[in-house]
Amino acid sequence: MTRAIAAQLVLSLRRQRTFLALLVTLLVMTALAGVIGWISHRTIIKVYDQAVTLLATTGTPAPPNPFDTKPTLALLSNMVIYIPLIGALMALVLGHLSMADDQSSGIGRLIFSRQVTRRSYVTGKMLGALTVLTVIMAASLLVSVASLLIVNGTVLSASDFGRLVLFYVISLLYLTAFALIGMVTVLLTRRRSMGLLLALGVWLVLTFAIPQFTSGLRPTASLNPITDPVSTSQTFFDVTAKARPLSVSEQYKEASTRVLEIGSPESALATSWRVLPIGCLVLVMAALTALLVSRHDYSRSSVNE
Amino acid sequence: MEEPAVEMQGVSHRYGSAPVLREIDLTIEHGEIFRFLGHNGAGKTTAINILTTLLVPSAGNARVCGHDVIADRSKVTERIGYLPSDVRLYDHMTASENLEFFAKLSGVSDPRRAAAETLDYLDSSELGPRRMSTFSTGMRQRIGIAQAIVHQPSVLFLDEPTSGLDPSGVRQLRETIFRLNRELGMTVFMNTHLLSEVARVCTTIGVLNHGELIYKDSMAATNERFPNEASLEDIYERMEGHPS
Amino acid sequence: MSSPRSRVTTLARHEYRAAVRSRALVSLIAILAIVTFVSIYIAAIAYRSALADYEVYVAAAQAGGVQIIAPSPLRLLSLLRGAIEYIEIVGAIIAITLGYLTVSRERANRTLPLLRSRPVTSGELATGSALGALGIISTLVLVTGIVALLCLGLIGNSWATPYEVFKVGLVGIASVLYMFVFYSLGALITARTRVAANGLLIALGIWLLVALILPQIGDTLDADNQIPGGLFSALAVDKAQETEILTHFGTYEFVRTGIEELSFAKHYERFAFAMSDVQDKYQGFTLAQLAREKWHDIVWMFVYAVALGYGLWRGFRRQPALPQGEKS
Repeated sequence: MTRAIAAQLVLSLRRQRTFLALLVTLLVMTALAGVIGWISHRTIIKVYDQAVTLLATTGTPAPPNPFDTKPTLALLSNMVIYIPLIGALMALVLGHLSMADDQSSGIGRLIFSRQVTRRSYVTGKMLGALTVLTVIMAASLLVSVASLLIVNGTVLSASDFGRLVLFYVISLLYLTAFALIGMVTVLLTRRRSMGLLLALGVWLVLTFAIPQFTSGLRPTASLNPITDPVSTSQTFFDVTAKARPLSVSEQYKEASTRVLEIGSPESALATSWRVLPIGCLVLVMAALTALLVSRHDYSRSSVNE
Repeated sequence: MEEPAVEMQGVSHRYGSAPVLREIDLTIEHGEIFRFLGHNGAGKTTAINILTTLLVPSAGNARVCGHDVIADRSKVTERIGYLPSDVRLYDHMTASENLEFFAKLSGVSDPRRAAAETLDYLDSSELGPRRMSTFSTGMRQRIGIAQAIVHQPSVLFLDEPTSGLDPSGVRQLRETIFRLNRELGMTVFMNTHLLSEVARVCTTIGVLNHGELIYKDSMAATNERFPNEASLEDIYERMEGHPS
Repeated sequence: MSSPRSRVTTLARHEYRAAVRSRALVSLIAILAIVTFVSIYIAAIAYRSALADYEVYVAAAQAGGVQIIAPSPLRLLSLLRGAIEYIEIVGAIIAITLGYLTVSRERANRTLPLLRSRPVTSGELATGSALGALGIISTLVLVTGIVALLCLGLIGNSWATPYEVFKVGLVGIASVLYMFVFYSLGALITARTRVAANGLLIALGIWLLVALILPQIGDTLDADNQIPGGLFSALAVDKAQETEILTHFGTYEFVRTGIEELSFAKHYERFAFAMSDVQDKYQGFTLAQLAREKWHDIVWMFVYAVALGYGLWRGFRRQPALPQGEKS
């Protein structure tokens, strides 16, 4: 039963071209991160060459090449921004679509007039969404490996590959949380568009508002993978900064930059702690989805829009 | 002795503080084609929602084929087929894919074959490979019926199955219901506004008025009781005006 | 018989009232209000302590008989940066939602045939809806502006001068234009898609590209942003040498700026930042100087607003009165 529900969801998403749209966008985004990384790579080398020539004329000794301090995986640093921005929005849409159809077209009534339990239904939906996200992340991983290979000209070391895989696992966890938020918001609202807007509101709050509260990050500052630390000496932050470990978008970025070795180093344990709130969010959202499905009144049909 | 197809004992339901069904007692035997009559908001759809396990009644017991709709939900759902009034099915899937999906959910061992046979039974095989989004209302309704019978249920619930159909569609539906009842032995429980067209195939009628069951008898007995009324519409109007 | 003006006014009021009653829209506005207030509050607190330090310095200098006192390095209006960025992000989403609701409401309620069966022309319908949306957007921007100025005075201990208020007013006008463009985008795309929710999604996709992705690409490609702390400082080159080096990157900078220019949001941001002294280089500029510096951002904003506004008007006029896609 669970499998039938999951398979139906995957088929639906494939037919509605949602799957394709998500896949293409995420892959373009990965490739874009690679291209930007490559341009950045070239720029640094060129600027360095120019600087060496210029400094030589003034007799100043050449500084060390800053490129040498750039880790291999820094090429993909923009992915750390694209996942919480584009990826999370898409995961919301994915979660939304996986629940909304059954609600708005009244199919929920057909499903539950059969021997389907609420538990197998919700498990099927979650598995279906997770399958789609996993396939997309795996494809993105392949594109990442390819762009690293093309730009750096060397095969990834085992440890770098391991780090890359770990980054994608964390990203998958993060996106799963947003897919579940997409599902929960459909179940909380009567009208389809309201579910989408509510999900969008949650995304805005998690991505922009909370980092502003806990770290004083202005919205556009959250868009740069390399951010200068903001002075948070005010009394205001004495209170709010305590909630920073719970700010999932910040923790995702911090953990990812550590895993990709582009952030300041910290112990593996400290990085694992950063992933914990994301995992907790996934569990809470999954439990909430299950609870809402178990209580949802599928005998009423909703308005389509 | 075989349990009745449908049995309601003191079933009441309210949405918030508004009562929709008031202590309904109703028994329908196997092989009947039962029709619920009643104005909009009389509680017909609520009754179907309860019998199809989608809604838990505020009070009373309801059983389908001897199984309680709350305690034995899975046994009930094995035995019923259901077509809601405003269902659209999955637009981006073909008719066959829709049927296979619902057959799988009902635990049919060979869903593909069941889907093909059902379409064939309804003379709709040509619709199988086409996507639902390309269908007219009549075609959708045929696939809607197909999904309701693909697992060969004992009791078929149809909620306003004639809505949106043109006269030929209604006639086709009437014939289908008749065949399902005669050839496959399905008990049919339906709500419909269109009185005379489908009336001919009914064996029993029930009238709901403001959530109360004010009348229930076989068509033969009803015709005997109201010999001067030309049609079921007239009988219905008389009953609504003077509940017995 | 009613006059065209009274019909347009009625439609605009209808639009305004419906928007105010939408829970989704009100929730988004509440999010905007809270984050904007917090951003100004945080900035104002920091400003207040910097201002107190400066005043201590001035008092000490005067007591010490110093003749030339350094002018205050503080820029009051730059405190509005967070607010401007939130209008750029959340404001745009609110505007898209507003546009989406304008179209989807009539569709879901099937009221378009009712409206069109009355003596209302499609042009009046378009104008009325757009005016109603402009009313909502203006109210939102006006309230944000007033609250921001009050925050600067009450929390930052510094009241804006009339010239500064005027500049904030110009930022307000730019914000209304900015949001109107996204309103038009939301309404136009929703009107053109069969399933309204898809229209909302497409409009949000465009917003994501224009307001976040393109500026982000431009920003991360900035040569100096390549390393934490800045590439040029890592290389220990001074400002003059930096300029010298950058002359070799003409094409690169051209492409990078080109990517940013594609983004409507960037034009709004540049104009608003210049008006609110966010960038050092515009401090002390007169209005004429600012206008000269920013004329092409102003032109771009108007071009976008007029193009999308016209597109919307045409789109509304061509919208079929009866629901499409229903097969019989």
